[in-house]
Formats: sequence, C-alpha cells, structure tokens
Amino acid sequence: MITASPKLVSKIPSGPIESRWTRHKDSLKLVSPTNKRKFTILVVGTGLAGASAAASLAELGYNVKAFCIQDSPRRAHSIAAQGGINAAKNYRNDGDSVWRLFYDTIKGGDFRAREANVYRLAELSVNIIDQCVAQGVPFAREYGGLLDNRSFGGAQVSRTFYARGQTGQQLLLGAYGAMMRQVEEGRVALYPRREMLDLVVINGQARGIICRNLVTGQLEAYAGDAVVLCTGGYGNAYFLATYAKNSNATAIWRCYKRGAFFANPCFTQIHPTCIPVTGDYQSKLTLMSESLRNDGRVWVPKKKGDTRPPNEIPEDERDYFLERRYPSYGNLAPRDIASRAVKAVCDEGRGVGASGRAVYLDFSDTIREKGLDYIKEKYGNLFEMYQHITGEDPYKVPMRIYPAVHYTMGGLWVDYNLMSTIPGLFVLGEANFSDHGANRLGASALMQGLADGYFIIPYTIGDYFASVSLPKVSTDRDEFRDAQASVEAKLKKLLAIQGKKTVLEFHRELGLLLWDYVGMARNAQGLQHAIEKIRALRQEFWQNVQVPGSNDMLNKSLEMAGRVADFLELAELMAIDALHREESCGAHFREEYQTPDGEALRNDEKFAYVAAWEYKGDDQPPELHQEPLIFEFVKPTVRSYK
Amino acid sequence: MNKKKMTLHLKIWRQANAQAPGRFVLYTVKDLSPDMSFLEMLDVLNEELTKKGELPVEFDSDCREGICGTCGFVINGVAHGPRRGRTVCQLYLRDFQDGQTVTLEPFRAKAFPVIKDLVVDRSAFDRIMAAGGYISVDTGSAPDANSILIPKEVAEAAFDAAACIGCGACVAACPNASASLFVSAKIAHLALLPQGQPERHRRVLKMVAQMDKENFGNCSNHGECEAVCPKNISIKYIALMRRDYLRALLAK
Amino acid sequence: MALWPRSSVAKKFLNGLTGVGLTLFIIVHLAGNLLLLTGNPDDFNRYAHKLESLGPLLWLAEIGLALFFIVHIFSALSVYVDKLRARPVRYAVSGNAGGASRKTISSQTMIVTGLVLLLFVPWHVASLKFGPGVEEGYVAIVDGLLVRDLHSWVIEYFQNPVHVALYVLVMLLLGLHLRHGVWSMIQTLGAYHPRLTPLWYTGGVVFALVMAVGFLVIPIWIYVNGAKI
Repeated sequence: MITASPKLVSKIPSGPIESRWTRHKDSLKLVSPTNKRKFTILVVGTGLAGASAAASLAELGYNVKAFCIQDSPRRAHSIAAQGGINAAKNYRNDGDSVWRLFYDTIKGGDFRAREANVYRLAELSVNIIDQCVAQGVPFAREYGGLLDNRSFGGAQVSRTFYARGQTGQQLLLGAYGAMMRQVEEGRVALYPRREMLDLVVINGQARGIICRNLVTGQLEAYAGDAVVLCTGGYGNAYFLATYAKNSNATAIWRCYKRGAFFANPCFTQIHPTCIPVTGDYQSKLTLMSESLRNDGRVWVPKKKGDTRPPNEIPEDERDYFLERRYPSYGNLAPRDIASRAVKAVCDEGRGVGASGRAVYLDFSDTIREKGLDYIKEKYGNLFEMYQHITGEDPYKVPMRIYPAVHYTMGGLWVDYNLMSTIPGLFVLGEANFSDHGANRLGASALMQGLADGYFIIPYTIGDYFASVSLPKVSTDRDEFRDAQASVEAKLKKLLAIQGKKTVLEFHRELGLLLWDYVGMARNAQGLQHAIEKIRALRQEFWQNVQVPGSNDMLNKSLEMAGRVADFLELAELMAIDALHREESCGAHFREEYQTPDGEALRNDEKFAYVAAWEYKGDDQPPELHQEPLIFEFVKPTVRSYK
Repeated sequence: MNKKKMTLHLKIWRQANAQAPGRFVLYTVKDLSPDMSFLEMLDVLNEELTKKGELPVEFDSDCREGICGTCGFVINGVAHGPRRGRTVCQLYLRDFQDGQTVTLEPFRAKAFPVIKDLVVDRSAFDRIMAAGGYISVDTGSAPDANSILIPKEVAEAAFDAAACIGCGACVAACPNASASLFVSAKIAHLALLPQGQPERHRRVLKMVAQMDKENFGNCSNHGECEAVCPKNISIKYIALMRRDYLRALLAK
Repeated sequence: MALWPRSSVAKKFLNGLTGVGLTLFIIVHLAGNLLLLTGNPDDFNRYAHKLESLGPLLWLAEIGLALFFIVHIFSALSVYVDKLRARPVRYAVSGNAGGASRKTISSQTMIVTGLVLLLFVPWHVASLKFGPGVEEGYVAIVDGLLVRDLHSWVIEYFQNPVHVALYVLVMLLLGLHLRHGVWSMIQTLGAYHPRLTPLWYTGGVVFALVMAVGFLVIPIWIYVNGAKI
C-alpha cells in the first residue's frame, strides 16, 4: 500500500546498523585540502546546527558565509534550551548504550523515524559531549570532577548532561566561539541582521540566496556552491509557542516553493510543562524544563471544579494522573503522552487556576524529603523564572503548568547526507525532519543540531562537491535577478495593501485556529474546517493587512508580515498532512484513531512512511510522496510507558 | 490574577536612523493588565500606533524569557529597568505604578550606535569575542569528556561567569560606557577552566586590545554594571581580568 | 612617553598603583601634622627639621611623590577623556540601580575632587612648605639646634578664617575622593575577595572619614585655640 516515490532517494546505507555510518563515511568522496578553499558555502542560521556547521566547515578550509536574523549569532533560539543534552556515555553504569539511546529515540518517535539516522545520532552523541567539554562548556560536575547527569522523559537511564538550566546557551556559546575563531581566521564571513527571503536555484542546483538587510532594508544576493539551511522550526505558526519571537519558517518555506519537499509538517510537539496562558495580550509562552519532572509530581484534584487552594486539598483527593496511568515512567512519561494526559484531565473539568487550563507540578514531597537546598541548587533559576512571570513562589505553592507548542519534528525532507530534494541545499537541525519521528524526546534537539553541524555535514558536503560539476556563478545572472525581483514585488505588495488589521491580529487568529484544530488532538472534520478557515484568513490577509513604514528602513512590522504570510501558507499544509495521516502516532493524535483507554493507535500497514510534500504552484494542491520506513532492527510495537 | 487596569505614560526616544537626530515622544497607554509583560505593553502601543497610521516604536526582543540577550533599553535611567537580575522582557507591569511616567532610552554608548528608536548595534561584542573568546579546538579532536577532571566548585565558578548573555546592559549602565564586565566574564569563564589555560595569556591580551579598539570607556569601579546585570555577574571578574592581564603582560 | 601604556587596563592599573602610594603618603602626612596638636611646638618643629635635614633623600622622595601625582593625574584624565568619548550622547534620565552598585556621589565626582586637589596642592605647598622660614624670622631652638619655626607659621596661617574655610572644604573633598578611591584602587590592582572586598569597601568609608576629619580638625582647632598656642 505504501509506494516508495522515485523522487525520494534516501541514500540510507545497508548492512549492520552499528557500522552503517562508518561504512558510509568511508564511501563518501573527499575534496582535497587545496581544493576546499575554492568552494563557498552559505550557512543560513547560527543556532547550534548553523554555528557548529559554519565552524567545522571553515576548519576544513571551505569559505563560509554565515547569515542570521539576530543582531548577533550568539542569540539564536537554541540558547533557550534549558534542560540538557543526551549522550550514551553510560557514565552512570546504569545500562545505557548507543543501542539503548537509539531504541529510546526510535520508540519515543513512535516508529516514524529512520533507523539508520537515529542510530547515527545516538552514536555521535558521545562525540558531541567530548567536543563541547573541550570547548569549555561548563557542564555540571560532581565533587570528584566527573560529569554529572540527570534523567529526562522517555528514558529509564540517566544520560542527560546539563549546565544548570542553561544548557542551550552554554552549548551555543561553545559553537559560537568555534565559529568566531574562524571569523578571526578569515574563513567565516558573518552577516547578522539578514533575513533569507529566497533560494536561488541554477540548473537544478542551489547556488545562492536573496537576503534582506534588516537595518537598511536593502536586498542582497549571495552566490555559493551550496546552501546549508539551519533556520529552526516553524512552531511560531501557532503564534503562542515557546519559540523566540523572531523564529520563523520563511527560509524553509521559500525553499519548499523552490522545489524542496516538506516532510511530515503535521508532526508538531506540544511540551507538557509550560507556564499557562494568562491573557489575550500574551505574546509568548515560557517553558519550564522537563527536568523538573524528575522531582515534581503532576496532579489535579479528583473532584471537578475543586477551587480550594492546592495546600488545602488532602492527599487522598488528589489525582497524580501520570503516575496512575503510566506507573513505570510516572511523571517522566514522554512529552506527547504527558501533554495529552494533561489536556484530558482539563477537558474533564479538573483543571486548576483561573482558566481551568492548568495542572499542578508539585515539589513539596521532594522538598520534604531532600530539603529546600537540593531543589534550589538543581532548579533555582527555573523557580526564579517562574516567580518572575507568575508572581507566585513555587517553593511554597505548586507550579501551574499547561502544554504549549515547543518543537517541530517535521521539516524539509533530507536524505541520509542531509541534502534536500534540491541538490546543494542541505538542511540541518530542527529545520529538517530527520531524526525524531512523530515525537521528540527531551534533550535530543541539542544533540541533533550539533550532530548535524559538527559531525555529519563536514563529511557529506564534500561528497556532493566531489560528485557534481559546479561552474562558477555570479549574482549578475538572471536567476538571481528574477529571485530578487520576486522578493521585492512581494514586499512592495505587503506595504501597498494598507488595510485595517495588523499583522499581529492575523497571526493571533491563525495561531488560535491551529491550536484548536491542528493542536494536541485532531479530527477529520476539524481539519477540514481549519483548511477552509486558513484559506479564508490568507485571502483576507492579502486584502486587509496593515503594514506601516517602508521597505528602506528597519521595519519589524514588514519582517513579521512576510513571516506571517508564509505561516498562512504553511498552516494549510500542516492541516492537509494531518488530515491525510489517518492514524495517531506520537504528537499527531487523531481522535478517530485511539485505543479504548485513549492511547494513540498507529497504523503501520498504511502509514509507516515519511510524508514528503511537493509544491505544485499556488493554485494546485501539493503532491504527496512517500518514503517507506523500514524497520530491520527494532520491531514497531505498541508504544507503552505503562 | 490581578483584575485592576493600569495606565502608563511613556516618554520614548524616537530616532529614525543612525544619522537622524532623535527626540522624546510622549505616549499614554490605557487599560493595561498588571500581569502583562512590559514588552507586551509596548506591543499594545505599537498596535495602536499602526492602526493610527504612525510608525511603531522599534525595539529588539526575541526569546522573551531573559536568556537570548536581545532585548534591552534604559528605563528611568536604569538599564533593564527597576527589577534586579532581570532583562526588560522579564518585567511585568506589576513592577510599575498605575499612572507612572516611564522614560525609555536606548543603550547609549559610542560603541553601540543607535540603529532606530530603541534598537542599537552591539556587534562590537562579537568582534571582541572573535579576538579570542574561545578555546581553539577543531571539531573531532577532543579527548573523552571525563578525561578532564573539573571539581564541582570550579565548574560552578566558571558557570557563574559563563552565564553572561551579552545583552550589553553593563555598557549601558556604566557611567564610563565600559565593556569591562562583559569582557571579563568571558575571559573568566575560560580562565577558570583547565581547558582554557593554554591560551589564557594570549586571550586576555587580545580581547582587551579589541575592547579598547571598539571605543568603550575605561572601568572606574562604579559597580553599576553588576547591579543591572540580568545574570548578576560580579565585578570580581573585572579584578580577575586585570590580574590576568598584568600577568600576561609581565610574561610577554 | 614610550612607557605610557595604551591599554585601558594598564592605564587604570597605573592609576591604582599611584593611588596606593598617595594614600600611604597622606597617612604619613596626617600623622606628622597631628604633632601640631601635642601642645608642645617643639614636637612639630623637630619633625619638620628632621625631614628637611634628610637633604637629597628628601628631594628624591619629593620627586617620587610628584611623579606619583603626575601619573595619577594623567591616568585619571585619560580615563575621563575615554569616558567622554565613549558616550557622546548622554542619558536624559540618570538612575542608580542600587543593590550591588557602588556608584555614589564620590565615585562620580572623582575627576572633580581630584582636580580640586590638583589646584590645592601647589597652593598648599607654596603657602606652607615654601612659606616664610628662618630668613623671615621664624626661628625656634629645638634640642639645642636652630631650626625653622614652621609651627608658628602654621598657627599664624590658620588665624585667617578664609584659609581655614578653604582647607576644611578641600579636606571634605579629599574625604569624598578617598571614599571611592581607596576600595577602587584595590579592585583596580586586581584584588578581589568575596569576604574581604566588602570589608575594604566599608573600610574605605571609615578611612576616608578618619582622613578628612583628621586633616580638617587641625586648622579648626588651631583657629579656635589660636591665641593660646
């Protein structure tokens, strides 16, 4: 029933899984050191994937141009990752191994990821920690000087390395430092405050990008021999998300429209522990690290509509629903499972707080057993952050949490070499779809970004350069002029509408639509409704949006308008993908497909494939291509955390 | 949740671009919830301005949870505003009084030229980092992570310095517009770790030289930088930077 | 001038180092001056004579002291010029974050108090050290030796209320200078300790107070008790 599309050549090596990457590396063609300097690589985005790629490629001798929308590459949103990074070091002697990390990740992704990719990720996890420590990342240590670990959701071993609640920032500073060293060496040229607005494809190969200089508004064209896209996920389509305000899908969306296939767009992760929404004015949601679930217990009152303060609700009237439903993983159930369980108790009317859309995350037992200092040392900054936002003291009253959009497993389709369906366009990190299947486990995003950037792209990009012919191109070519003209026309169109609604209003409206119909639980009727609504909203946007200012200045409203315009298109694809996938898997929960006790019901026979969508024009529906997922080493089972 | 509504009077620095002269413009924003963040209040103002056909107030912000270091301006003469240990994005209207007049100015320093309104160019920090704010280690050449033993206390001390988010508030708050706190935090992070030792002297000399080149002022130990630092970075690192600098100078 | 450092840290270090020297000097200076209050004019005159009789050694010390002054002033001026250059557009509202801030009136007026002291020192040296001596008849016999009666001249000098008022004012400013200066020079030399730094921060305030009061009490006391000495 699943038909492999001839357009999707995944280049997955065969043979024993343990040696696939090694053998693949050995088979890749090399570029000689003297020839490397003849190639220019455009790296877009400077988060963990982008910065590590830029640094590693420059170290090899390539010319790298690195672009970011932030004022400094160090501010990319990887910086906000709190909890940690997984690595199969087995320093705890608790039975961890590369195989087990591989298995946990495949299972955590609900058997919708490629075995070979995930195994490679687990294998490389070990090198990442070594690399980061050598760079001076101040990971948590024990008194004896060895590295400390903690546990994360979906795992029964302790394999998460962390730097207080700032693991992302510390890892990014490491990668950023490595990149800045290459800037000093003259091998990386840095272009901050640039937004990539189009990809230039010449003779079927990705050969350049069009950027808007966000300070002057000027459009700039850059030519190169390959484009490495590291622009992150598209969760801001939901408006309220834990993403940074400037995170966007524009770069990947424009590449999609230039011919890169978009894979599994409906796989969007909703993180269970975020600070609940408090008002209509709210601009973003803040995550409370999953690591908190190591020591916090999640509960709601047993009774509906119980408005007593939490400390007045006696123990036997509390429902520790995660511990009850998933006794073996308890509060550390994976994100998709925990989020749905939270939604379920709130739907039953047992939610807490003013809105009734929240549950308690309670630390009082741990404080009693291990003392206040233990909590302070482990989570001090997270508790402080919670108090800043809510004005409540979580040392005294339990935190209130609710799920929020946090990550997108979907992204541009890439082969085993991380190359998209456009030759020369490589996609790394959250921007691609490759390793997390239908649900990402905690502490795996940092791992993937760095594996892609430090240890995969440096090998695979050379193979591409050595395999194809790349005549020199200049930005004077028609392809560059055409792309720049189309970008300019779009910007001018946005400014010319002069309607009555602001960009923010459209974005909020789109976000609510997605959250309600393409959120934690989806059904066919809702998805159809959403598709119609999104189309209507998109139409209204292009007639009634009000974008102030002009194109020749710093104009954040114009930046946002372009991004929201793209979200309005991508949202439809997300809904189309969710509608076509008639099964529940990982974060994609279709209400029609569930077990009697409300767990996800997968359909491997029909849907064990990667759904890669091809753009066919603005007026045409996208075309679906299937890449079958073949499980040779792990037998897909019902994913149970009970 | 607080139900009371608030009004704020905002005196905001408006400047069209780096070359244009700037001036203060007074705005009043009404019907605000005390649970709203300060930047959300500016979002509300910008929505109103957009609908009136005026240009919104440009300000930088990204993560809105106090970690990326993108946001930052001066509120009533204090960088990042009235609460200690927070960035602008971590301020809530409950930190202000109903009817209060609040003056917003961009970070002011020659090294941080104004781009527009409250947005400034902090790329000087990146150039200082490029001069030496790293450990020179090529990808793939690292030994096993546990082969370098680092006592917990040492790791914690290095982390305290590494917590710097590079927001530039230290420069903005310093009466001399000095970047010493930022630079010293970066130097100290690596100087405190065993991995940072081989390049310790070279690093401090190069980073200080670049700092001086960027038109920052000198440090007179006012300590205002530490007070406004959202990550509470201590000026003890400035002392460390000076010690290391002299040692490096003598060793040369 | 080749020795004059270009780096901010080194310039500041020179300022701190000379600050330490000048601080030690004023401690000694105050101790000597307090001899004016012993009730026996011989004490002060003996001390002054001993210093004078050091001859070349004293000159050397004085040249050293002058050098310290000059380096202190130049390094301070360079910090000030850098400051002016580093912030061409000033803030409309200036605030103090409180908490860990050590920004005080003292820390912000170092250049002003310093410049006042710069104006004061030549006047002070000219009017007292190079004031009337043996030739003008200010002679005393101490331990059988004929020496300059500096004591009498000082007493006479501080009978003028204008002199007293100016000295009191300048000594208050000296206190203000030391209040930030003392802890700051230690920090500048790179000494920081989690327990000791707060100690010398507060210690600096006490020291500044002691110095200011010690110095200004002398002219006041002389003025009040003038006739009786």
